[in-house]
Order: sequence, then C-alpha cells, then structure tokens
Amino acid sequence: MSSQFKIIGTRQPKIDAFERVTARAKYASDFYLPRMLYCKVLRSPYPHARIVSIDTSKASALPGVALVLTHKEMPEYVWHIGMPLLTDVARFVGDDIAVVAAKDEETATEALDLIKVEYQKLPFVLDPEEALKPNAPKLYPDGNLIGGKPAVVSRGDVEKGFTEADLVYEATYRTNMLQHATREPRVCVAVWEAGKLTLWDSTQYSFDVQRGVAKALNMPMSKVRVVCDFMGGGFGDRSGPERYNVLAALVARKTGRPARIEFDREENFTAGHHRYPVILSLKYGVKKDGTLTALQAKAIADMGAYAHFQGAGGTMEVIMSTYRCPNMKGESYSVTTNKPEGGFMRCVGHPQGTFPQEIHMDIIAEKLGMDPVELRLKNYARLEDGDQFRKIPFSSNGMEECIKRGAETFKWNERWKKPVSSAGPVKSGIGMAIHACRHGAIAPGWPSSGMVRVNSDGTINVFTGTSDIGGGQKGTMAMIAAEELGVPLKNVFVTATDTDVTTDTFGTTGSRQTITGGTGTRLAAADAKNQLLDIAAAELKTDKKNLVISEGTVYARGSEKGVPLDQIAAKAPGPIMGRGVGIAPTNMIFHSFAAHFAEVEVDTRTGAVKVLKLVAVHDLGRAINAMATENQIEGGAIQGMGFALAEEQITDRATGICINPSYLDYKVLTIKDFPEITPVIVESVDPFGPFGARGVGEPPYSVPAPAITNAIYNAIGVRFSEIPLTKGVVLASLKKAKS
Amino acid sequence: MGKKEHEPVSEEEKESGKLKVTRRDFLKGLGASTVAAAVITTGGAHSEAEAAAPPKGTRDALITTEINGRSYRVAVKTHWTLLDVLRRELGLTGTKNSCNRGSCGACTVIMDGMAVYACALLAVEADKRKITTIEGLSDGEKLHPIQSVFIQEDALQCGFCTPGMIISTKALLDKNPRPSEAEVKEALSGTICRCAAYPKIVKAVMSVSQKA
Repeated sequence: MSSQFKIIGTRQPKIDAFERVTARAKYASDFYLPRMLYCKVLRSPYPHARIVSIDTSKASALPGVALVLTHKEMPEYVWHIGMPLLTDVARFVGDDIAVVAAKDEETATEALDLIKVEYQKLPFVLDPEEALKPNAPKLYPDGNLIGGKPAVVSRGDVEKGFTEADLVYEATYRTNMLQHATREPRVCVAVWEAGKLTLWDSTQYSFDVQRGVAKALNMPMSKVRVVCDFMGGGFGDRSGPERYNVLAALVARKTGRPARIEFDREENFTAGHHRYPVILSLKYGVKKDGTLTALQAKAIADMGAYAHFQGAGGTMEVIMSTYRCPNMKGESYSVTTNKPEGGFMRCVGHPQGTFPQEIHMDIIAEKLGMDPVELRLKNYARLEDGDQFRKIPFSSNGMEECIKRGAETFKWNERWKKPVSSAGPVKSGIGMAIHACRHGAIAPGWPSSGMVRVNSDGTINVFTGTSDIGGGQKGTMAMIAAEELGVPLKNVFVTATDTDVTTDTFGTTGSRQTITGGTGTRLAAADAKNQLLDIAAAELKTDKKNLVISEGTVYARGSEKGVPLDQIAAKAPGPIMGRGVGIAPTNMIFHSFAAHFAEVEVDTRTGAVKVLKLVAVHDLGRAINAMATENQIEGGAIQGMGFALAEEQITDRATGICINPSYLDYKVLTIKDFPEITPVIVESVDPFGPFGARGVGEPPYSVPAPAITNAIYNAIGVRFSEIPLTKGVVLASLKKAKS
Repeated sequence: MGKKEHEPVSEEEKESGKLKVTRRDFLKGLGASTVAAAVITTGGAHSEAEAAAPPKGTRDALITTEINGRSYRVAVKTHWTLLDVLRRELGLTGTKNSCNRGSCGACTVIMDGMAVYACALLAVEADKRKITTIEGLSDGEKLHPIQSVFIQEDALQCGFCTPGMIISTKALLDKNPRPSEAEVKEALSGTICRCAAYPKIVKAVMSVSQKA
C-alpha cells in the first residue's frame, strides 16, 4: 500500500459502525413523531386509463382521516419526462392517483378503499418495439419515442470499417427489468414548523430533493431542509426528488402535522424506479489479427411511463468508450411504455451494454481462433483514446493492468480450455469480461465541495453533502481530511447530508462521491490547514513552508518540538473554517476500468449454474479505504451475479401488472449464493481525484454477468443472448442445442 | 386511539393468558386494499354507517412481554404485529421493517431462544414471552462481541439488515457456539443483505465463533 500516506490506503472500519451495529443509527423510516399522519397513495389498477371522475367525500369523512388529495388539488408541476404529482391519466399499474393522510396506517388504508374512481380504460403498450410502431397506443401526444427521433452518435465511417474487416458479426441481446430491492423502503417524513419544511428522507441526493421540492411547492430553498444521516441502501432508486417527497411536504403544510409516507414492499417494486430493459443490436467488424475496424450499435431502451432521462444513451456509452475503434455509429431509442418509471440503477445503462458487448467479443474471439484475453488487450481503449469523438484522453487508465493481473491471479493461461471439454454431466468452464465506464467521474459544472472546521481543542468537523448509503462515504471524507490536515482519524467527525449545514457535492450516485465530495473535502482541509499554518508560522517565527502537521501537532521541519493544534487554534481570531470547491478539468475525462474472470460449474441434468470463483480486478485510481473498497467490489459483484442468474421483474402482458413484487418471488442472492471472490485493486493514480482516487461503487456490478455467461458457454457450448440464466432457461437451451 | 372505540377483550381471553385472534379478524383489521382489476369503478363500497365505525375486527388487548430483560405491559390491537409494537409503540426502531411479509429477515428478533420474524408474528403471540432485540445486545457503550467483530471485519454496508444479521448470528451461536461455515450460511440465509456484504459477514461470524 502507498507508503507516502499515513491514513489513505489503510483498512478502516466504518466511521459510524457503532451506530449501525447497535441500531442507534436513525434512518428516515425510524422517525415516529407525535401527531404524525400516515400517508397512503391510491395507485392505478390499470396500465393506461383516464380518470373520468374521482369522489373522495367518503374517504374524507372517515374519522381519523385528516386530508385527501387528488390531481385536482395539486400544484401544476411536471417531473422527469411527463410525470405530474398526482395524475388524471394513469400510465402504468401503480401510478399515483390520490393520497390519504390519516391518524394511523389502518385508517389510511381503509380510506383508500372509500375513494370512488371512475376510469376510462385506454389501450396500452408494454413492449418497446411495439411502442415504436406507428399504430401503437401513445402515452403522450408526441408519440412514444422520447425526443421524437433516435439519438445518433458517430465517428469515422462504419461502412468503410466494415469493408476493411475480415469478419463482420451481428447479433441482438436483451436485458430485463430489474429492481434495486433496497432494504429500507422508500420513505420520507415531512415536518412543517415555523415556516420551514424539514424532510427526513432516505435519499442519495438531498440537495436535489431540496431543489425539487422547493420548485414544486414554489418555496425558497432556504426554507426547505433535507436530512439523510443514514440510509438503508440506494443503488439509484433515490437519486433525486420524487413525488412522494412533495406529497409528504404538502400534507405537512396543509395540516400542520408531521406526515410520513413509507412504501410497502410491493409499492417499492411497482411504483419505484427500476433498471430499464434494453434491446441491443451489435454489428462489429474485425480484421484477422483481431483489430476492430467498425462498431455499430442500436439500443432500444424501455423507459416505462415516466423516463428520468434517455436511457438508451447510457447503454451506448459502453460501446463508445470501452474499445478503441476509429469507426463507430450508435443509434439510441429511448421509448415510453405503460410500465413503471425507468430510472437509475447501479451503473446506469452500462450492464445493459457490457453484457451484450462482452459476449459479442467472446464470440468474435472464438471465430478468429483468438484467446479472449488477447482480443481485449489488443483493442481496449488506451489512455490517449478517452473520448474518441472529441479526442480527449482519460485521466488515467489501468485497464491493461486489470486484464493482466486478473489473468495472472486467475491463472487464465493454465486453465484455459476448449468449450465443452469436461467429461460427465457436471461441466466446468471459465470466462472473462472487461468493463469501462464513466462512473466515478467528475465533469465541468458538477458540484464538488466541502467544509472543514477546526475546533478549539484541535479536533476536526467535516461537513459534506454526501449521503452515506453504505459505501462508507462518511469515513472516506474523514480519511481524506485527516490525511490532508495531519490529524489522527479518531479526532475527525463527519456531518453528512443535512442541507441546512452542509454543501452540495452532487448525489451519492454514479460512484462519484470519492471524487466530488472527496475533492471538496480535501480542498477544504487544505484551506483550513493553510489558515492554521499562517498562525503557527507567526507563533514559531518561521516561514510557513517549513511547517508540517503530524498527529495533530505542528512541527518546524527537522525539529522534534512541536505545538499541538489546540494551541494554534486558540490563537485564531475566530473559528477556523476551511472551504473547498472542486473545479473539474476540461482536458481529461474520468472513467473506471475493470476485468472479471469467472469459473462456473453447470449441471447439465438440472440446468443449475454454480459460480465457483470470481476474480474481480478494478482500477479506481487509488483506494482510500482498502477494506471498504474490497467490500464494495465483493458486494457489487454479488449483486451483478444476481443480474446474471436470478433477478427479473416480470410484467403480465395481459394486464400490465407486476407479478413478482416481493423478495419471495423476485430472487436476490442470499448468503448461500456467493462464490470465492478475489477482489484485486489496481491503482492508476488519478491526476485530479483526491490523493489519486476515483470511485468504485458501480463498476463491480456490470462485469460478472458477461464473464459468467461466457464461462457457461465454455462449460456447455451454449450461447445466451438473454439473462437471467435460471435453471429452466439453461435446461431448455441445452435441450434445444441437442435437437 | 381511545379504548372505547373498539371491542374490548373478553374476560376469558384475559384469563387464558394467550390471546387468540382468528385469521379472519387479522385480515379485517388490515383493511382490504386490493382492487379488482375487472371492474371499471373502484372503491366506494362502504356505507356511511360503516365509515363512521372503527374498522371491523380491530380489538384491544393487553400483553405482558419481557423485552431485553425488562418487563413491558403494552396495550395493543389484536391485529398489530410484533414489529408494529416494537417500532411504533415502544420506539425500539433497531428492529427494521423492510418487507413486512416474513420474507427478508430485517425484523429478526429472538423469542424464547428462537430467531423469528417480528413482522410475521402478531403482538398477542408475544404475550408472556421473552424477546431480545438488537437494543438488548450492547450494554451501554459496551458492545456484544458479535457487534465488535462486525465492526472490525466491516461486515456491513448500509447497516439496514445489520440488526437482523447480528440477531440471527446470536440465535445461532447461543445454540451452536462453533458452527461450520455451512451452518453459518444456513442460519443467516433468511436475512437478505442487498449490499451483499456476505463474504465479510461470514468471515466475521466465523472469527467470533472461533473465539467463543
């Protein structure tokens, strides 16, 4: 580990672990306040219907009901793409029709039953390819294709690239609708007191919730406070303001009582975000020696009723920047359908691109008679490639080291074997995949900030907008501040995600807090340090340049006798406050890089796939906390294994109803389902990130699925273009391959 | 919620010690929120008279339970779950609600030595029982060894499943102080960790059990 640092790179327990293991940590769902109202949302039973009439008189008259709101009482405000706060046209099963606030949950639930709604059912469409057809039912007057035309990216000349190729291979791949299935449900408790709104919210981006709610309710941001001290997982489901935030706030404002909205598990599946399914068609041209000559891709993303953005573009990013190739063309279709909201989920859009691309590359390697590792090494996008459209290099790039160290750790060369070479009914195989993505990034205009206060006893308070959603973000900020200031880690306390006292560092989304929050915190610590050294220099009658801070004491270089920080701080005219604002450079782009190697066993009698081993190599610039980094890689990879083998949210085609909205029927992996995982950390040292670090929250998710699918091919000789590879799917494919 | 609003508990029920609640009462108490997809008009089924009355099937009960070594006498409704009572009525919010359907383990508590899901038990079923929740493991600032090892091994991420995970571990180690790795995985398989800190959880439990 990097010896030039005292704290960076060490293995540290979570800074707030005591609160978490004793359950003294207060999550938004733990707020039960006096006189609190429990809110329940009436949800549409139809995928597409117009509300002809809505009668809430009986519900309002039920004793214990404080308030019923429908679209008629809502301020006019449109979220995301087309979403009203409460709707008069239901666009998916689960769409928000009305909200009831009552003295307890039972009364609220009973009141929902008393709301009389007359619906006019409308034709609906669930399949994105169907939705693109001219006669498809329209969700919006402008049609179902978001933006009205496909988003096209292009460099070079793909047709020329295909004529230069010795082999052109084309195929289409599909991924499914997936759920975050966070352990804490969506929950928000709103309190309106003395003209100020406070939201105790489970959110990854409190400042965006503050902004969104203030805008929707036409309030100054200064009077909206959003707090999220602890959060039970995010994975993208709570990336910004949601309508339930506004509903809770409105109830609190209109009644003067605290208002709580907590989704039940079924609502979390049907009325939250999900990973949007993508149909990706790839056509790649390659020379005999393995050099890619052309990449052509068409992505159709099923964004559901209320898209948060044009998701197909997220998938296209993977095709744009994983491999170097002068000729590339991509067409992205982001489509609305009568399904729940397509939003952000861990490594937004990228698993939907990496799974297809890495299977595609595996097939090409086989057709060329090349080792899959060699094909990747030949084509991966180099440091200078970066943004191949605008010719901007990556900040740093450890892809080659990821691939090579992965192959070495896994012993790829010794273990590589021809497909279907094990005897007997249980067959083993190996496979690999790589992944490059812009997550863990910072770009111009993204908020990156921090504040550091030095107390009169020389201890440090860090104030950061970061939500610690489980990645140990608070600890990361503490380690960065402690390293920069030269103080013991135990003397640092972190206040996170309270919009009243911290500053915006963007969301804990996109693996970005290490670089956005971390840069802000480091600059703030440097500012505070500078102020301390100004005072110390006068005290010690020496030049500031001669001073260092170590273990909370200021020393003149070469001198053993130091002055503790409390004595320096006491001489300050007032509290020392460091401020940091990170400005992203424009001459580099930030990506994370990874290579995974998997070994599987497939029982050809049952179709059961068992992953035996996974080597997961990640370049994250530099690891701030080695233990937390390992934990992120392991956890992300296991979640990604679920994507490969188990998870799928299923919508009934006849009714648009989700048929598996529970942990029983939507399978997430348990403690019995993980293999031997070897996380390997590659440190390419980012020239901008704090102490060379970037983030690693998302990349581990994307790579296991293709690595495992390729390993399954190596075991049984069957290719898959869709996941999850459940027993039934594998068995059916084996049967089909035989006949 | 005054007691007069609801049916009182009968004398026999009080005397028998075990308060009975039928499945029918329980379902009524929850309130039927299902909406039939076939009909165009939904809701509005209740008459004015029904709307004014308390929900059918809600009845009051008084239970006596030992939680974390302290005795509690709690006025409950017979359809409330143990989880409702722990979190909402007693403020013991360390026991988490995640699925409320007995499928995820976030609400695991120990009742008379057994790890159970608090969301899948009615509060009246906890009458005269002994319960341990996460709040009962530490003694002030002194942590239980399982809690300490979870910290040292970083056996958690968001921490929302952690109380359930730690309680499940305690229930296991109380019965089987030196479990095999397979036994650990079996015992903890009813608690989902969506962050999937599983490798570190297994390591932590194995390490603390070897010390036991």
